[in-house]
Amino acid sequence: MSGTILIQQAGNSVVTDLGRFRGPHYGLPVNGALDQYSAKAANILAGNPENAPLFELTGLDFRMTTTADLLIAVTGAPLTLTVGGRECTQWEPVSVRAGETVAVRGIHGGLRAYVAVHGSVEVPFLLGSCAPDTVVGFGHKLRDGDCLETLRSVPPIRHPYMDMPLFRLGVARPRTAHDHVVEVTDGPDYDEFGESANLLFSSEYTVSPRSNHIGLRLGGDLPERTTTGEVLSRGVPVGAVEVPSREELLVIHRGRGVTAGYPVLAVATSLGLDVLAQARPGDKVRFRRTTVAEATAAYRRSMQQLETLRESVSSVFNLLGIGGPAHWHEVPAAACG
Amino acid sequence: MSVSPFSPAPVQVFESGDAALRVVATSGDAERDWSTVHHLAEWLEACGAEGLHGAVPTYDSVLVEFDVLAVSAQQVRAFVGLGLRQLALAADDGAAPREFDVPVVYGGAYGPDLEAVAQHEGLSVEDIIRLHSSKTYVVRCLGAPAGSPMMDGPAFPLPVPRLKDPRLSVPAGAVSVAGRQAVIAPAVAPGGWQVIGQTPLTLLDIHRDPLVPYKPGDILRFRQIPEGEFADFAGHLMEAGR
Repeated sequence: MSGTILIQQAGNSVVTDLGRFRGPHYGLPVNGALDQYSAKAANILAGNPENAPLFELTGLDFRMTTTADLLIAVTGAPLTLTVGGRECTQWEPVSVRAGETVAVRGIHGGLRAYVAVHGSVEVPFLLGSCAPDTVVGFGHKLRDGDCLETLRSVPPIRHPYMDMPLFRLGVARPRTAHDHVVEVTDGPDYDEFGESANLLFSSEYTVSPRSNHIGLRLGGDLPERTTTGEVLSRGVPVGAVEVPSREELLVIHRGRGVTAGYPVLAVATSLGLDVLAQARPGDKVRFRRTTVAEATAAYRRSMQQLETLRESVSSVFNLLGIGGPAHWHEVPAAACG
Repeated sequence: MSVSPFSPAPVQVFESGDAALRVVATSGDAERDWSTVHHLAEWLEACGAEGLHGAVPTYDSVLVEFDVLAVSAQQVRAFVGLGLRQLALAADDGAAPREFDVPVVYGGAYGPDLEAVAQHEGLSVEDIIRLHSSKTYVVRCLGAPAGSPMMDGPAFPLPVPRLKDPRLSVPAGAVSVAGRQAVIAPAVAPGGWQVIGQTPLTLLDIHRDPLVPYKPGDILRFRQIPEGEFADFAGHLMEAGR
């Protein structure tokens, strides 16, 4: 049974997924959820494939209602979540009855939150992804009054006596704070910065309000390039730390143009990019030097936690009779193309 | 068209974070380096190895992106080595490049930086237009934004400086130069290159596959048209002439 989600207050939200991985080869940014861990966790908690389309909320409050009973999960930065006026737990599956309003208020201690709906929502795809690309004019930035089709309904699951949370799956939540530590590995052009490269690890940086999904701008003591001359345009890795001006450090995020001509001093690790996704303007950032081998091991440990979570969710949902493989009529048309 | 075996340039591989590698061709021969990184990128795209997201080749380098969960940087390095050995064994297929004719209105509101570029080069506006429209351009790579065709620039005496204050919005179709490079903007985007003209053709169409009609190795030629003809081509998709 399908239903409709009505966006009552869009705030600053989009429908996205983990990104357009085939995009960079064609000159398009990868885009997708900036905090990948939280996005994956939301989908897993909602019983979805981790790459299913979901809502990414940046900073502002959000409200939606539904014509069908739903199962949702909200992750990311700390916030107040209410369903039909009752306060609910973040980072756990939450049951929503048809007609109830889901409200997300007061995102704090971070910038981005994720709302996944069991069965996901039907949206168009470009090169295998629904992630918005503002440059080519693709994607779904949500507006008040938007309606989205959801393809699966889940009968309400309620604690029989009290409005206690039904689930306690114990997913590891990222640390939240206003001072962030971001791990980086040496960039391919590290040597071009000579001794001044060390400044990156000894200084504290402040996140500028001009930061966005393309990149974060950080004020502080800047390493300086010791070489001169134009650099040929090259593919830029997501996470690249560059010094394009004398005012700010730039850390490239998932919305980046795929090619640029600035030397790459360092590269934020995959987990470091999730930390940066939650950094608010005015927050402090310190960089810690690590190696690719250590970063890879840390990332794999973190993904192992999500795999364990998926197993717990799967056994709980099986007991409750939620989910199971999608029927043919539940598969979004876009996923078949 | 060559049938001799392709001889890849030597390469150097640099770590670029936990999910990417930069492979740089180091023969010093710009044509051979370019050819090497593009052949390697195509091989990596086609090899179907699990965990490889894709390859972004430019002039002398290719960025190889991968899923850290499925493969490690070390394994991708091994793939790159394998790819280069395969390229050396395979004959160069030398697929014929396609050619694109690009009508351009130079100067005025269409090319607000034309006069500044002429002044910087110590040439007349007519000379700049002549040099820009008499060259045969090879698309070197697809770049930012939105699959822009990046090309080696026209034979100006001096490299063209970037704008001190990049524009917040440059229209689709803007024909620009910077350094020793030339480009056309497929979509509206901020830009720091000097805009000398604009083509009425549509480069990017998200309902078309591929999104842009050209690929690295294809040929572009610019042709001056009078302002009055701009509207005649407006909305036409850019298409290969042969």
